[in-house]
Amino acid sequence: MTTSRVLLDHLPQPIAVVTESGGVDYKNQAFDETFGSDAAQWLKEAARAVAGERGWLHGFFVEGDDLRTIDVEIEGRVYRVDRILRVTEGETPAVALSFEDVTREREAEQAKSDFTAQIVHDLRGPLSGIQGTLEFILSADTKLDTMYADLLQEAQRESERMMNLINEILDFSKIESGNFVVEQEPVRVAGVLKRAVRSLQSVAGRDEVFLLSAHGRDVPQIIGSVEKLTQAVINLISNSLKFTPQKGLVSVGAQIERKGDVAEAIVITVTDSGMGIKAEELQAVFEKYKQSGTKSIRGGSGTGLGLYIVKQVVEAHGGEVSVASVEGVGTSMVLRLPVRRAAA
Amino acid sequence: MSAKPLSNSKPDWSRLIGDSLKHHGVWHTYAKLLEARSAYPGDLSLRGYVEIVRNTIVRDFLAHPKGMQAVPKLSAEFMSNFDRFNLNAQEGYLVSLIDGRLDVSKLILLSPFDPFNTVFILAKLQAERAITVPQ
Repeated sequence: MTTSRVLLDHLPQPIAVVTESGGVDYKNQAFDETFGSDAAQWLKEAARAVAGERGWLHGFFVEGDDLRTIDVEIEGRVYRVDRILRVTEGETPAVALSFEDVTREREAEQAKSDFTAQIVHDLRGPLSGIQGTLEFILSADTKLDTMYADLLQEAQRESERMMNLINEILDFSKIESGNFVVEQEPVRVAGVLKRAVRSLQSVAGRDEVFLLSAHGRDVPQIIGSVEKLTQAVINLISNSLKFTPQKGLVSVGAQIERKGDVAEAIVITVTDSGMGIKAEELQAVFEKYKQSGTKSIRGGSGTGLGLYIVKQVVEAHGGEVSVASVEGVGTSMVLRLPVRRAAA
Repeated sequence: MSAKPLSNSKPDWSRLIGDSLKHHGVWHTYAKLLEARSAYPGDLSLRGYVEIVRNTIVRDFLAHPKGMQAVPKLSAEFMSNFDRFNLNAQEGYLVSLIDGRLDVSKLILLSPFDPFNTVFILAKLQAERAITVPQ
């Protein structure tokens, strides 16, 4: 027996060399101790074709030479499976896999996510009450002293900002815990854009920024989440408003990409006449925790999660995002959403 | 600004457009970007750059001291020689609404086009001297 074989046999981590059909060419002692005699059965199940697609094991054979890692549930526990080697010699291709039990890690992540969701929920309740009260006082037919009216408007602005931050944290915790589910409902994109523009028209008016719609009514429906897409567009518009000076312009457009007569995708753009983003920062704007080096005109910093969440929402709809910016001229956020139709 | 793809790498649109705006103005840049769009149909960011320039055109039009309350009028040149102006259907429709009394906000309400495109068409008519917007 070679030295390397002895080393493999005695490694504390389960290791197995598995063929594409789920056969086990080699397994070390830790593998036997961890998975016992049932291993051959679930490996075969993992290799079996399911509904036209192969099981998770198949991915290790079709990917490139780079190391591939996936988390897999095996017998009620979660294992992080790493491909450590591709074995191309012999008749059947095989891969050497290592297995790490990450069940506790995943449970801790879930607990953290549940805790965040609970805290966020508890914060949103009272904040909604404060916002409702401020809105009532400001819209009521009462003659407020100018100073008090200004102070109340400031409180309203800050409460809106706090609500946005809380919503971003909630969405982020869902994304990180894998609980970010996109509903499959018909979405009238024109309605989404109209609602988003209307909800921020008063903010734009207050900041003396023009906010204009740049789309007709004949935008086709897509399948997805009305709520998440509306929030994504609201995020983009409010971000644009933050960086657009007085007398500036934010426009919200939609164009249809067609192949022949058939609509294939909708391209949504949110464009501002702000100071733009530096070229070296452009590629990173959709990364989490990234804040533009450009200072917001109206002060206040965000979580750096807004655009990251927008990207996740669009990708969950099968779409893609892009950004264009010219320093000193403006920025445009571009979302491309495929027109998927509900199954007949 | 070149409209032909020379290689797989994308042009530095940000710099090219910044330079073009500075040296050739918005309308020239806009026309070049439309050419570029057909040369780079898969470049999603290019959609954004076109919108930045369109946004600049509309923002400049609304920078009029009266903003949305500015009242466009048909120009003397248009009144005397409208055949010279090669208007498309949208421009023609909007011109038919301009009576020297309706301001931009009212034209937006009456226009069948969306608010942004209504102002964009007005800006184009102004650039072509079909209309004037007195101070």
